[in-house]
Amino acid sequence: MTSLKDQIKLHEGLVYDRHAYGKGPGWDPELIVEKAAEPSPIEKEGYDLLSDVELEIFYHKMLTIVEEAREVWQNLSISDIILAGDMSTAIFTPSGDLAVASTGIHFHALLNYAQSKFILKYYRDDPTVGLNEGDIFFFNNPLAGSTHAPDMFTAMPVFHEGELVAWAEVGGHQGDCGSVSPGGFNPYATSRFEEGFHMAGVKIGENFRIRKDMLDYLCGSVRNPFVFAVELRSRVATCLRMRDRILREVERRGPAAVSGGLRRLIDRSSELASDRLRQINDGVYRSILFNDTIGAEKGLVRIPVTVIKEGGEMTILVQGVSPPNGKGPVHATWHLVRASQAVYLFAYFFRGLMPNVGLFEPLTFLIEGPSVANSPEDVAHTEGTIISAAVVQSFHIIGSKMLFDSPFRENVSAPFSRNMVALVFYGSNLFGYRATGITSTGNGAGQGARFDGDGEHSTGFYWASMTDAGEVEEFDARYPFTIVARGLLGTDYHGFGMYRGGSALIEVSMAYPNPVVMTSWGTSDVISHNPGLFGGYWGPPNPRLTITKNDALKLMAEGALPELTHHSLAAERRLGGEYAFESSSVNPKEFEIGDVFLCDTGSGGGYGDVLERDPEAVMTDVREGMISAAVASRVYKVVYDEETLRVDHAGTEALREEERQARIARGKSFDDFIGGWLTQKPKEHLLIYYGDWPDPRVPGYDKPFWGEHD
Amino acid sequence: MRVRITEYLDIDLERELWCCNRCGGDLISAREPYKRGCLLHERDPREIHKPISDHPVFNYSFDPDWVRIIEFYCPHCGVMVENEYLPPGHPLTNDIQPDIDALKRKHAGGGTS
Repeated sequence: MTSLKDQIKLHEGLVYDRHAYGKGPGWDPELIVEKAAEPSPIEKEGYDLLSDVELEIFYHKMLTIVEEAREVWQNLSISDIILAGDMSTAIFTPSGDLAVASTGIHFHALLNYAQSKFILKYYRDDPTVGLNEGDIFFFNNPLAGSTHAPDMFTAMPVFHEGELVAWAEVGGHQGDCGSVSPGGFNPYATSRFEEGFHMAGVKIGENFRIRKDMLDYLCGSVRNPFVFAVELRSRVATCLRMRDRILREVERRGPAAVSGGLRRLIDRSSELASDRLRQINDGVYRSILFNDTIGAEKGLVRIPVTVIKEGGEMTILVQGVSPPNGKGPVHATWHLVRASQAVYLFAYFFRGLMPNVGLFEPLTFLIEGPSVANSPEDVAHTEGTIISAAVVQSFHIIGSKMLFDSPFRENVSAPFSRNMVALVFYGSNLFGYRATGITSTGNGAGQGARFDGDGEHSTGFYWASMTDAGEVEEFDARYPFTIVARGLLGTDYHGFGMYRGGSALIEVSMAYPNPVVMTSWGTSDVISHNPGLFGGYWGPPNPRLTITKNDALKLMAEGALPELTHHSLAAERRLGGEYAFESSSVNPKEFEIGDVFLCDTGSGGGYGDVLERDPEAVMTDVREGMISAAVASRVYKVVYDEETLRVDHAGTEALREEERQARIARGKSFDDFIGGWLTQKPKEHLLIYYGDWPDPRVPGYDKPFWGEHD
Repeated sequence: MRVRITEYLDIDLERELWCCNRCGGDLISAREPYKRGCLLHERDPREIHKPISDHPVFNYSFDPDWVRIIEFYCPHCGVMVENEYLPPGHPLTNDIQPDIDALKRKHAGGGTS
C-alpha cells in the first residue's frame, strides 16, 4: 500500500528540505535544517541517571529557572516590547538543542539553536574565537537563523569544571538595528543590505562582561543607543542568572545528570508528540492564504499549505508558493517558517506537552524554494514573518480540522487575529532620550471563535499568547507618542458565525508632546489573514488610518473629546481633520504634534454557520456595539424589536428557514459552478509577483482543486 | 456507523459517504472531496462585510477584485458546511481527505466517535 507521504510530488529544480541559499560567512544552513543533534558524550553519560520521577522534578526545576529569568529580564528592561513579554528565555543542551523554554515567544527559542551549533562547529576550536566560560555571543542575522534583524539573541555557554553542560540563551524583539527605516522595519527595502547590521554568532563578551568596544560599536549603529545598551546588559544579566541556577543544579545532581536530563526532556517530548499524532485521523489536509503586498507595492502572493498526517508522523508541505521578487521585504526563510509553527503547535495542537524542539522531531517540513517562503540570500527579509505567519494561520485551520474527531477537540478554534498594521515610531520620549519601536498593542489580538464558544477579546500576542499589551502610562513615558484611547469596540469588525471571533485591542495614539517619525507595515489591507472555521466568516481587512490637522488637542483642552473607537473614527469621523485611509506599508514620515493614529491587529474569524448563532447572543452583540442592527438582520437573520432588542424567536426561525431554502435555490451543483468559476482571473496588475496563474509553479494548471500534481 | 469529522460533516463508514451532520442527508463518496457534493454559491464579500469607512479601497472590507467568498451548502437542508475566501477563479481547496481505510480500521470495533 502506498503511504500518503509517498504520494507527494515535489517540483524538480526547487528545494524543499533545506534553504534556498548556501553557506556564507557566519552561517551554515545545513546546520539549521538538522533535527536534534546526536547526544554529546556527557549527554549520553547522564541520559539514564535520573529516574522518571526525578526527571519530572528536574523538568520543573529547569522550568522555574527559565521563568525566573523571564522575570529578571522584564524587571531590568526599559523596552516596552520586552516588558510586554515579547521574548524568550531558554536552556539548551550542550549540543545546542532547545530543551526548556519559558512562556513568551516560543518560536524565538526555536531559532537560537542556530548560533550555538554554528559556534560549536566553527568557532569552538578556532584560535581567534574559541569557546570559554564567561563568553557572551550575539546574533541577529536572518541568514544565520534569526527571524529578522530587529530580533536579537544572546547566548552564554554554561561550563562546569571546564566541561560544557548547557547553554543559557535569550531572544527578543530589540527594534532598531541601523536599518534605513527607524525601528528596523523597512517596507521599501529591496535587499538585506538596507536592513541594518547583521551579526552571526559574534563573541561580544568575555569573562562574563560585555566588551566595551563591541558595546560602543552596537550602540553606535542604532538610533536608540541608550535603550539598546540597557537592553543588551539586561540580556546578559538574564543569561548570568540562568547560568547560576543551572550550576546549582549541576552541583546538586552532577553535570552528566543535568546534560543528559536536558537531552532526555527533548526525547520525551518527541515520544509524547508521536503518541498524540497517533490518536489523530490519518489523511491529507489543506488550507491556503494570500498576501496583498510585497512591501511597498501591492500584489497578490500565494501561500498554500498541505499537511500529510500518517501514524506518529506529520509532513508540512508548503508548495506552489509565489517566487521571490527582490522588490520588497516580505521574504521568509526556511527556518523561520518551521520555527513559526510553534505558535500554533505549542499553544494548541500539542498543548500540555513540554514545549521544546522534541515536539518537532516527528514533523518533516518541506518548504518550496526559492520562493517568498524559502528565500534566496540577498533579498530583504524584515517582513518575512508575514509569510511564516500565513503558514501558521493555515496550519491552525488544518490542525482544527484534524483535531475535531480526536480526543483533543477542546483545541479546535479559528486562529488568533493576525491582520497586522504595525506602527513604528521614532522620536524623543518624555525622559528626553531617543526611542523607537513598535507598540505592544498588537499583543491584544482577538481570538478566533472556538468549537464551543465565541473568541475572547484582546487575548494575547499572536506570536506568544502569554503576554500582555503593556501599560498606557509606560507607553506614554517610554515612547515618543501618547495614547489617547484604548478599547475593544470595532463594530462589525470581526468574523461572524455560530460563534463569533474576538475583537482586538484597538489603540488610538497621538504624536505628543513632540513630533514623531512613523513608518508602518502590515499584512491585510484588502484581504485578510484571519480565517474562519467550518463556515464561519473571516475577520475583515485592516488598512492604516491616520488623522492629521485634527481638532483632538482642542477638544481635549475643552474636555469635549468624543469617545474614540474604531467605529467612531473610521465610520463616523468624530474627530475633525484630514483622514488618510491607506495601505499599511508606508515609508517613514514626520507627523506633527496632535496627529492621531489608529492601530490594531484586526479581529478573529467566526466558527460555524451564522444561522446557528443563538439569537439572544446576537442581541447581546448589538447591545454591546459589536455588531450593527443591519448585521443582526441581514447576516444573522434575527427578527427583533429594534427598540427593546427583544427577539421574535418564531419569526427568526422562519426567516432563517427561508434563508436556508434560498441557499438551496441559489446554490449551484459543483459541475454547474466550477466551469464558470475557473474562467475568472484577477486583473493582470495584481498578478505581477504571483508567478503563473493559478499555480505559480505549474503553467496552465487547470484542475478544479489546487495541489493535485499527478 | 457514522463518524463525525467536522462540525457539519459525518462519514458513513459502511457506505463510504460524506453526510450532513445536521440533516443526515448524503453528499458524495467519502473518497471524493465533500465539496463536490455540496451546492456552491459565489458572493461579493461586501455583501457580508459591509465597508466600514467611505474610502473606495481601504475601507475595512474585502476588495472583490482580490477575493470572493464561495459558500458550500448542504443540498438537503441548506446549512453552510464551509466557505472559502479565494481570488476570483482560483481552484478550490480539497481541505480534508481522510484515509478512509485507516478510519475503518480505527473503528472496526464499532462504537461512536
